[in-house]
Amino acid sequence: MEVLKENEEEEQREEEELKALEISGKQYDVGRKLSVDQACTPNDVPDFDWSSIDTSQLPSSYKTNSPEEKKLLCIADNFLQQYAHLCPDREPLLLHPVNECGVEKFVSTTVRPTLLPYTELYHWEGCASFVSDYLTMELLKSPIAPPSSLYSPTTILKYQRGNCFDFSVLLCSMLIGAGYDAYCVNGYATHNICTMDETLEVCPLLRKPQEVPKQEEKKSSKYRVKPPPDLQSKFELQQEAKKEAQEKKERKEEEKETEKPKRDPLYGLRVHAWVLVLSGKREVPETFFINPFTGNSHSTTDEQFLGIESVWNHRNYWVNMQDCWNGCKDLIFDLGDSVRWEFMLLETDKPRLLLPDVEEEEELFDRDMDNVEKEEEDRRFDMPPSWVAPIQISPREFETRSPQGRKVILYKKAKLEKWAPYLNRNGLIQRLTIYADSHYTKVVEVREWFKNREDKLEMREVNKQTQLITEHFCPGHLLGLKAHIYTSTEPETERTMEFYNEARVDGLQKRVENASEMSEYFVGRDDFLYFRHVEFGKRVKKIHMAGTRTDVNPRPIVQIKECFRRNLEKPADEDVAERIFLITEERINLTYHLNDKYITASKKNFFKGVERDRKGNEIIMTPEMCITYQVGSSEADKKLFHLHKLLQKLTEEEKQLKNEVWESATEVLEILKIREDEEADIKLTVSIYDTERNEKRRQEYEAMNNLMEDDLLGQEEQDLDYLAPFLIQICNIEKMSKWQALRIKEDCLTDFKHHLTHKANIIQAHLQKEVEELQKKDQWYQENQNQLSMEDEADFLAYCSETMFRIRVLALRLQREKQMAPQKYLALEEKLRKDPRLNMHLNHP
Amino acid sequence: MSQLYNIIEPNVISEEMVQKAVEEQSQDEAGQLAKREGINFKDVTELQLSFRNILQIDNLWQFENLTKLQLDNNIIEKIEALESLVHLLWLDLSFNNIEVIEGLDTLVKLQDLSLYNNRISKIEHMDTLQDLQIFSIGKNNLATLEDVIYLRRFKNLRTLNLTGNPLCENEQYAPFTVAHLPELVYLDFKLVNDTMREAALLKYQYSTEPLKQVEALALAQQEEKQAELNELEYHKTAFVEYLNGSFLFESMYEEDAEAAKLAYLPGVDDLLQTYPSWFVSVCENLFNDGLQQYEKREAEVSDFYESLHEALTADQEQGRKIILEFENRNRRTLDEIQNVSSYDIAESKLAEYNEDILQLSETLMTLEMQTTSQLEELIKDFERNIAVLVSTFIENVQGMMAQCRDLENHHHEKLLEISVNTLEKSIKNELDKDLPDDVRMLFVDKNTIVDAVNASHNIHLVKIDSREGDILSNAHQWQASVTEKALQNEIDRNRNRVKEIIQYIDYLQEELENMETLELPE
Repeated sequence: MEVLKENEEEEQREEEELKALEISGKQYDVGRKLSVDQACTPNDVPDFDWSSIDTSQLPSSYKTNSPEEKKLLCIADNFLQQYAHLCPDREPLLLHPVNECGVEKFVSTTVRPTLLPYTELYHWEGCASFVSDYLTMELLKSPIAPPSSLYSPTTILKYQRGNCFDFSVLLCSMLIGAGYDAYCVNGYATHNICTMDETLEVCPLLRKPQEVPKQEEKKSSKYRVKPPPDLQSKFELQQEAKKEAQEKKERKEEEKETEKPKRDPLYGLRVHAWVLVLSGKREVPETFFINPFTGNSHSTTDEQFLGIESVWNHRNYWVNMQDCWNGCKDLIFDLGDSVRWEFMLLETDKPRLLLPDVEEEEELFDRDMDNVEKEEEDRRFDMPPSWVAPIQISPREFETRSPQGRKVILYKKAKLEKWAPYLNRNGLIQRLTIYADSHYTKVVEVREWFKNREDKLEMREVNKQTQLITEHFCPGHLLGLKAHIYTSTEPETERTMEFYNEARVDGLQKRVENASEMSEYFVGRDDFLYFRHVEFGKRVKKIHMAGTRTDVNPRPIVQIKECFRRNLEKPADEDVAERIFLITEERINLTYHLNDKYITASKKNFFKGVERDRKGNEIIMTPEMCITYQVGSSEADKKLFHLHKLLQKLTEEEKQLKNEVWESATEVLEILKIREDEEADIKLTVSIYDTERNEKRRQEYEAMNNLMEDDLLGQEEQDLDYLAPFLIQICNIEKMSKWQALRIKEDCLTDFKHHLTHKANIIQAHLQKEVEELQKKDQWYQENQNQLSMEDEADFLAYCSETMFRIRVLALRLQREKQMAPQKYLALEEKLRKDPRLNMHLNHP
Repeated sequence: MSQLYNIIEPNVISEEMVQKAVEEQSQDEAGQLAKREGINFKDVTELQLSFRNILQIDNLWQFENLTKLQLDNNIIEKIEALESLVHLLWLDLSFNNIEVIEGLDTLVKLQDLSLYNNRISKIEHMDTLQDLQIFSIGKNNLATLEDVIYLRRFKNLRTLNLTGNPLCENEQYAPFTVAHLPELVYLDFKLVNDTMREAALLKYQYSTEPLKQVEALALAQQEEKQAELNELEYHKTAFVEYLNGSFLFESMYEEDAEAAKLAYLPGVDDLLQTYPSWFVSVCENLFNDGLQQYEKREAEVSDFYESLHEALTADQEQGRKIILEFENRNRRTLDEIQNVSSYDIAESKLAEYNEDILQLSETLMTLEMQTTSQLEELIKDFERNIAVLVSTFIENVQGMMAQCRDLENHHHEKLLEISVNTLEKSIKNELDKDLPDDVRMLFVDKNTIVDAVNASHNIHLVKIDSREGDILSNAHQWQASVTEKALQNEIDRNRNRVKEIIQYIDYLQEELENMETLELPE
């Protein structure tokens, strides 16, 4: 079956190729036809006229070609001719499209490796999401041919729009700058990838986290209790399971049917550009693709990528010589393999898959290469530097991201909108709307994310079907509010409030409320209380005085139930597990914890005031007032004396409890009031480090800066006295001889020299230590590579990257120190020469 | 004054006095209740017997749970009869005529002790009061400053009162005390501030330093000893104590007088050089194997108890579930019965409820039967496995011991051979001159020497046998006790459970009956 399918596909592909050949003459027509197609699909981006852009401000490298570049273009032409000769049936390569100034530029020189000063952009995820957010997507003029022009990344950034090639070149520039082994890829992909159609994808925010199968470590003990015989019919169970499976299958099939994408007439021909990141550098464990439109990573075996024509980075250009009949699944990304990848420029430092143990081989290889190089001296040519100006992104632009700060993505049955922070007055940064159907008409749920809100609101979920609103808060809200689930803000309606119990004195974690009940859940209390349930009765109708509010007349409490966890310090039958105050019946029921191995719990039921009411005088305590069931002992040996004490304590606590319940109710009202106020007047917080927004802070900062500068100036004036320690050796400064003065000067200078070398040595030592440690660790890794677990490996990689970072910093520092040392030395000498104390002795003997 | 003193009648604490004192303590309504139904002395936690002219302490043994006892302002001369008050935290014996600190050894929980205004001249007999926090011994006859050093053993002592003793007249008193009791917070009702403490510590640095060292050394020694004891205990539980070394070998030669003599024979030296090492290595093997077997047994036992615990928890949960279901079902039934208007309906409901109770009893008993049979099976398995483990262990031990015996036999043969040779030499008068006389005596005739060698051999064998016997009997004893314990536990559990169920059902039925008696008159 599989083979058949593959055959089919192959045939289909051949057919399409034929068709493509046919069409190639009328490419333009197809392109236009398709653009008409596109016009039908909703596209909220208005067309942009690239011809109107201003090129006059661009530097000269954009407008002319240097001699090297010209030579490169010749080589490229030569290469193209040979290629066309060797592979007449393949599409022409994209080698030197024109740039925005109409000058032909080789694609590799368009890549401008740049490391941008944002920590987020040091990782590929950050770069990819930035590029996908920052630029507006444009479709290729013709979906089946690479574009005839390729603009510089700077221009693309300026106008914030581009096609897949522009996206890829920009992303590639950033990734290479950040140290990744990244390449632009010119190839073929499915319709969905090419047009950034994610409507068949589940929104990443809705993807369920993969359930980690819990490893239940059940020790297969020899001692197993035999279960009692199971008397349920196995057959019936089986039948049921079968039925269910059948139903499930049917349902799934139905779903699949509806989800199946439309057949694409241009399948396999659609040109796309994306980014390839090879493993090796920056601890990338496995080669992968990045789709620049979405910023998502894809495995190299992803079925949506159908083939690769060529790849390039800032150094070289490779043409894929492997067959892509099975998509990119079987491709091998060893660019050093000249059979699979035809390179254009011969280079010594070939990028190849890093194999640590082939160094020797490599040397041999290199020697061979030398010979070859001599023969082909004329062909050896280094890629000229990029003609593109450095890529720059201002913090403002970086933060704002998308043009106008807004971006909309359609997913399967979901719509995701993004805004830049501070763009919306209410702090909204993201909104996800979930629909019941794939036509985006019936809203099921709306989720909104907020940032920088003073009331710490982080996310709000509105379920449109139940009208249930869920609000999530960051830590730091008043009274430790964590989440608020409600339908209406009226008091005494159904609602759930969750709290950060660590932040609260009473350890309240959750409070669930409706008209007649209130449940509270506690965590980590000293009295082991974890649950309290209050039932309210109907409010006794009172004559409403003018201006009385609901909280003045609290609902009468019918019953309070409290549950406690086990306090291991007390014996189980003295440790109360549950107590119920039946307030209207004047009863208190206590249930104690279960004793070890017992199945019944001790109980005490008190009836208060039964006797008191009947007679005038108070009877303190009678045996009838308390019914006791004591586990493990037949007679109730507790004396009335103790029961009385207990009852007194309980009565006291009941009073307190009523108070607490009342306080809880008031707290709810208070929170509702606060929330109402907050929603009515939304304020956004501004970080004190954000000098752009925080006006007050900026003024302060500037003032402080000025002050600091003054301080610095002052400091410099009363500079350190270099000579002081040396002058002290000589008793009388006035009577210093020339010889002494000279010696002092020499001493001072040698001391400074020592100091400098010492400093450099320290840095050097640090550097060496780091390098050695890294080597050691690396050696250890090489030796034990096979036995290492994933975790160890990850640890090792993390360690390596960290150490590499440190080594780089140290090397930089050392270099700077070395550069600066002579200057500093000279400066000191100059200073000493001018020093008045020495000066007079030196110049006037 | 003396007249007044004479008038007062000295008392002994009597039952009557105690009773009165207890009753006086609770004056409110609870007290009335208490009076009415009598007070169990075991439940009293505090007792005040001040200003009662008590001369002798007595009749306090019933107050087992007493935590606070006040005997101040009496004329007590001797601390006695307090041994049973082991829960005492606070003891006040101030303003009495006590001369010697004594009789406090059992009050290990004591935190607060007041002996203010007595006639004590030496701090002593308090070594067991490790929890002592507050100690008041002002206005006594303490004269020597060095007595303070005795208090160093109380690691929790924070408050000390010594004022009014002769030793306070020494001007070094305060710094000396502070220096020697560095943890002290309050001395003579005053806070010990840091400057004072530092100064004192500096001053007495040279006298406290050796003390500290001695204490540290003692502590270390004690710990070491404890560790050794623990180790030995561990070996004992594995039944192989004193087998990791040459203990057994040495014990073999300990009572053997002949062996020492025989050692002088030429050639025995060589023999005695190799023999012990072989023997010891066999012993060590036995020891290691014993430890391993012990670990196995322990694992087996813990495995069993883990499973048992699991089964019991499951059983408990199930029982609990049944009861909860019952309770939820019938929570409102009683109320309903009470509020039902017609007598017939009430009757029928009562009957229904009664039926339900019986049903519950039935269910619980069935569950218990099932659990019992399950556990019985479990215990049988356990018994079998333990038996197997013990028998393997015993087999191993026997094997090793046989090796020991073989070694001994071998040695014996060699020795005999040498002896005979030597005898021959001695007959030929070729014997070394420097042999001791008692050794020479052995070579009077063949019988003597052979007897001597045999006697030595026999002693050795007896030793080995007895050691083996010890191990075997210990192992069997352990096996019996372990299985017995498991069985007994199960029986106890079963009885308790059945009792509990019956009691619970009784309780329910009683409740029901109460209801009926309430119902009927109306």
